[in-house]
Amino acid sequence: MSARRPLFGWNVLGLMPAHVIMLLTLIVPVGIIILVSFSTRGPYGGFDYIFTIAPYRQILFNEGWTGELEFNPQYLIVVGRTLLLALATTAICLACSFPVAYFISLQSRERKVALIYLVTLPFWVSMIVRVYSWIIILGNNGVVAKALLALGLPDIGSLLFTDTAMLIGLVYSYIPLMILPIFASIEKLDPALVEASHDLYGSRFTTLRRVILPLCAPGMLAGAILVFVPCLGAVLEPTLLGGGKAMMMGNLIQLQFGAARNWPLGAAISIVLMASVLIFLTVRGLSAVRREGREAAR
Amino acid sequence: MHAKFRFAALAAATALSLLSGPAAHAEGTLAVYAWADSLAPDLIAKFQKETGIKVTVDAFSSNEDLLTKLQAGSSGYDVVTPSQHFVKIMGDSGLLEDIGANAMPAYRQVLPEWQKPWWDPKGSYSIPLAFGNAGFTVNRDLYKGPVDSWKIYFEPGPELQGKIASLAQPDEVIPAAQNYLGIPYCSEDPQAMKKVLDLLVAQKPFVTAYSSDNIENRIGSGEVAAHFWWDGNSLRLRRNDKANVEYAMPKEGLVGWLDSYVVPKGAANIDNAKKFINFMAEQENATAQYNYYGHSTPMKIDAAKALYNKENAPELFPTVPVKMGQACSPAAQELVTKVWTQLLQ
Repeated sequence: MSARRPLFGWNVLGLMPAHVIMLLTLIVPVGIIILVSFSTRGPYGGFDYIFTIAPYRQILFNEGWTGELEFNPQYLIVVGRTLLLALATTAICLACSFPVAYFISLQSRERKVALIYLVTLPFWVSMIVRVYSWIIILGNNGVVAKALLALGLPDIGSLLFTDTAMLIGLVYSYIPLMILPIFASIEKLDPALVEASHDLYGSRFTTLRRVILPLCAPGMLAGAILVFVPCLGAVLEPTLLGGGKAMMMGNLIQLQFGAARNWPLGAAISIVLMASVLIFLTVRGLSAVRREGREAAR
Repeated sequence: MHAKFRFAALAAATALSLLSGPAAHAEGTLAVYAWADSLAPDLIAKFQKETGIKVTVDAFSSNEDLLTKLQAGSSGYDVVTPSQHFVKIMGDSGLLEDIGANAMPAYRQVLPEWQKPWWDPKGSYSIPLAFGNAGFTVNRDLYKGPVDSWKIYFEPGPELQGKIASLAQPDEVIPAAQNYLGIPYCSEDPQAMKKVLDLLVAQKPFVTAYSSDNIENRIGSGEVAAHFWWDGNSLRLRRNDKANVEYAMPKEGLVGWLDSYVVPKGAANIDNAKKFINFMAEQENATAQYNYYGHSTPMKIDAAKALYNKENAPELFPTVPVKMGQACSPAAQELVTKVWTQLLQ
């Protein structure tokens, strides 16, 4: 056990910049959003400091077309669709990233550096430009349609403004965030463990399943979080590639702060989104801690 | 106006802000927030040269964005250019500086029919910049049929099904649907708004995209055959890019708009803002602005130098009624949002 430290020693002072930044950029803004979500909407946007839980009630209950208050799942449908899309993107990214990361880890030192550099290269270009380039690739007479025609495959027309296009865009945008942590965890993998598995007559598949994948799980989990969370708030891809036909959480929140002039509802939806992400991460974190505890006790 | 999210325009605006002209002799600065691609870059450069004021121009892509920014406080802008109904909302919410517009030299350049309009009845806040309307444009390579009714757009026949695009915001699409159905704007009658929803839901299977950006590409290249759009933008695409497009004249009526220069409350450079507005209103400059922007002008211009007339720009001279968009009550706005949310849920 460490010795007792004075409450305001150099340690605390030295870390002060971090605390101040956390306070100003995280805690205060979230506090403001929570405050707005419990306030009353102003007639033309904005809000008044009159406490109410109406915004949260409005997420579930709305006035029907005849004026009575009824249960309306419209926002839950949007939340569900967004979760589904984020999960699908995460799953596809995971499936594609593991082989890529593994392949990179097997290369020579120089090639490794070059390949990792290539993975991060898209980040040097603005997100909006990259998404626009997919409009050209997937659109009418785009590269994809032309290539399929040249191969003698049937004309699929334009992929643009479909759910497929949206998913392609999201996977493309976020896959580097999955590759990098998985690569880092594979790099730390001790080759002796793989050899040991083979020595004990573990087949290639068994080695992958029982040795490599469990040891890379932390990297995969980190990657999954890095992809899943920004996907929940994606606005660009659903609008530009999906055609904006089905609302996502991001669009819904934008609508509330914009055309709907209902800031408290927008804030309430943001809080629900944030809370669900936090609950998800906490549950994952707790189960990871419990697992480690069990293994340590063994 | 209303070229929402147009990233080319954003890039242009950024380039413009870098183009600070000959080193300003410290006459201060001016921050302008205007519709993407709306202000003539030549005029900005000329203003900087004449006054020594350093101008930065940022682009916004929807009235809602602008309103939200002003409501959030200290936007840092000295001149912004909202549409009429938002001038009304901003004026009523105390978000605008009373610049005594009707006493400014610029006001004498405003055509009489646009002086003291309902959104600024005392002429305190605003000097008009441009006006026009929202309707729809068809690509004539793909669609040969008539374009005299909203029916063609909202209840498309087989030749347009799956080849229609709408906007990402309800602000003008719903008024257009209301014109078609004969329902007044900003209706507070849920039953009437349910009819609007039914119309839009029935149209949805035939709509390729609800998107407000990159419209000229989509309609010009023939990716879609009909697109909800604005008169002057359609004109510019036809004239400048030689696209075979036609702006429809639906007999039920177009949705009118007028954008004005206003000064946000608490702006840092109010004098420079007024100088700029007066400068843009001078006849020669207003003419150049009209020629650049391609939307109708509410200012007195030099007819001999104006580029557009009834023959070469029929888009700007509608032959059908134009009904000006209004500032909706919270109850009416709630119904608009409800329609839009249920349409895209």
